[in-house]
Amino acid sequence: VSTAVAHRVPRRPALTVVRRAVAKFTLPVLLLLPALVIIVGLVGYPLGRTIYLSFTDTGLGDLIYGGGDWVGLDNYKEVFTNDRLRVALINTVVFGSACVIGTMVFGFAVALLLNQRLKGNLLFSIAVLLPWAVPALAASAIWKWLFDARYGFINWALVELGFDRFQDYAWFASRFSAYVAIFVTVVWQSFPFIALSLLAGLQTLPKETLQAAAVDGASAFQRFRLVTLPLLRPIVVVLVVFSTIWDFKIFDQIYVMASGVPDRAADTMAVAAYREGFALGHYGAGSAAAVVLFGVLLVFSIAYVRLIGREGEL
Amino acid sequence: VSVRWWLKRGWMYVAMVAISIFSLFPIYWVVITSLKPRREIYTRTPDLWPSDPQWGQYPRVLGEGHVGRALMNSVIVAGATTVICLTVGAMAAYALARSRLPARKALLMLVLMTQMFPLVVLVIPLFVMMRKSNLLGTYWSLIITYLAFTVPLAIWVMRSFILSIPEELEHAARIDGATRLGAMVRVVLPLAAPGLAVCAVLSFLEGWKEFLLALTFLNDEQRKTVPVVLQSFVGRGDVDWGAVMATSVLYTLPVALVFVLARKHLMTARTGGAVKG
Repeated sequence: VSTAVAHRVPRRPALTVVRRAVAKFTLPVLLLLPALVIIVGLVGYPLGRTIYLSFTDTGLGDLIYGGGDWVGLDNYKEVFTNDRLRVALINTVVFGSACVIGTMVFGFAVALLLNQRLKGNLLFSIAVLLPWAVPALAASAIWKWLFDARYGFINWALVELGFDRFQDYAWFASRFSAYVAIFVTVVWQSFPFIALSLLAGLQTLPKETLQAAAVDGASAFQRFRLVTLPLLRPIVVVLVVFSTIWDFKIFDQIYVMASGVPDRAADTMAVAAYREGFALGHYGAGSAAAVVLFGVLLVFSIAYVRLIGREGEL
Repeated sequence: VSVRWWLKRGWMYVAMVAISIFSLFPIYWVVITSLKPRREIYTRTPDLWPSDPQWGQYPRVLGEGHVGRALMNSVIVAGATTVICLTVGAMAAYALARSRLPARKALLMLVLMTQMFPLVVLVIPLFVMMRKSNLLGTYWSLIITYLAFTVPLAIWVMRSFILSIPEELEHAARIDGATRLGAMVRVVLPLAAPGLAVCAVLSFLEGWKEFLLALTFLNDEQRKTVPVVLQSFVGRGDVDWGAVMATSVLYTLPVALVFVLARKHLMTARTGGAVKG
């Protein structure tokens, strides 16, 4: 085949190249087309449209058939000055980071424990896996019931343990205590994934290196800090970035659990942006808030894609 | 048992039991709350074991609570999403895995990135699109929009499965006279079946769990999916916790079953940002 092509190339180069390219790429392009239509039509176009809306004062009446006026950066000024939205932005960063740290630390501890291969390890790993299988809405309902002020299990248990101030303690009546409850819910749901991913990493570590360190007199903590952690670094970085994306765009748990906090003080950016649009009819400001959240996440997404690319996945 | 054992290993067993309780107790509590009669739910001194377990809660929520209808809706939406997403995703994944298209790498990055997008940045225009095409409140409004995040997921997962199938098999089939499409359908597809199964599970789960779009597009009680119904139960002034817990059990059980059975395969798909939360 190659010799035949070599003969023909000098004679009609341009046409042959085009024809070969068409023959070679027709099928792949046809196969890709439906997916491209979906990605462009249902992700690309809406994203562009939201960015456009964020520069207009689109309200309830203008949403479907247009008619909002161009207001430049006003909506973005609003995001950073309006109390509701500014607080939501701070909430997202602070609460999101707390969830990432909590999930990573707890997940790491569980991974190390699973790696010890104690008796009953299989049952333990299934126990750890299960919370991951619970959908966010169900998990939120479950923990809201456990944290219920009057009939909740947690207040009852705390009072039984001697903490009398938790008699009828209303967890969802203030921002901080609501966040404690939601933090527990988020960590409960996301530590299995982190723990099992880290366990997979731990199992690929060279045993000889760890044994050599032990022979040289390194304590368990030193072995962890000086051998295990540096070797696991690539996985840890990917998981941190990944968790950050998930915990910063958190919507379901906040929507269900933080709805009773006075003044909506515990809303995060995703919920605040949603409510600004669909509950208050400020579609322009809601779009701007969503775009700000998107911008923050984009930084992490690019980092994530580059990390995955470096690991040779692409 | 010596003090040394406790210092070296014993505390690990204690930690293991404590973590297992943290994982499992909430699930246990949901199940037994759903089996308790009303007076045992609304009590200041809850029993750790229902004295008189009753199934009455389940037929009640399935019937008058519209949960049966909602489960049906969720199955229809998640099922249709899965079928379309598998077809479209497998085709695109094959093209990305096998051809030398110029912008292949950029496309792959785009696919991976779209999975990271917060839905809230897309929801307003999607709502307008659905409204303009008169699809608001229908199953299609969800099935179509769910493709926005399930198709990239399917492409990403399927691609790595297709890459693991030796290309030589296809060459052999083509030498034997098969067309390119024929080789794809008759050689690659059967070998990629486990990948398709993983994709099917993942995209079904996505459709099963999705809440934000379902909350926005569905008003009709008859069309609501389970998460929206669950939210409307929890959002009420005085919550009927027995009903909420029974609904949560019905909503979680099928997913949990699939999860435990397919756990190894789901983990292999993790790098694509496939499953969490």
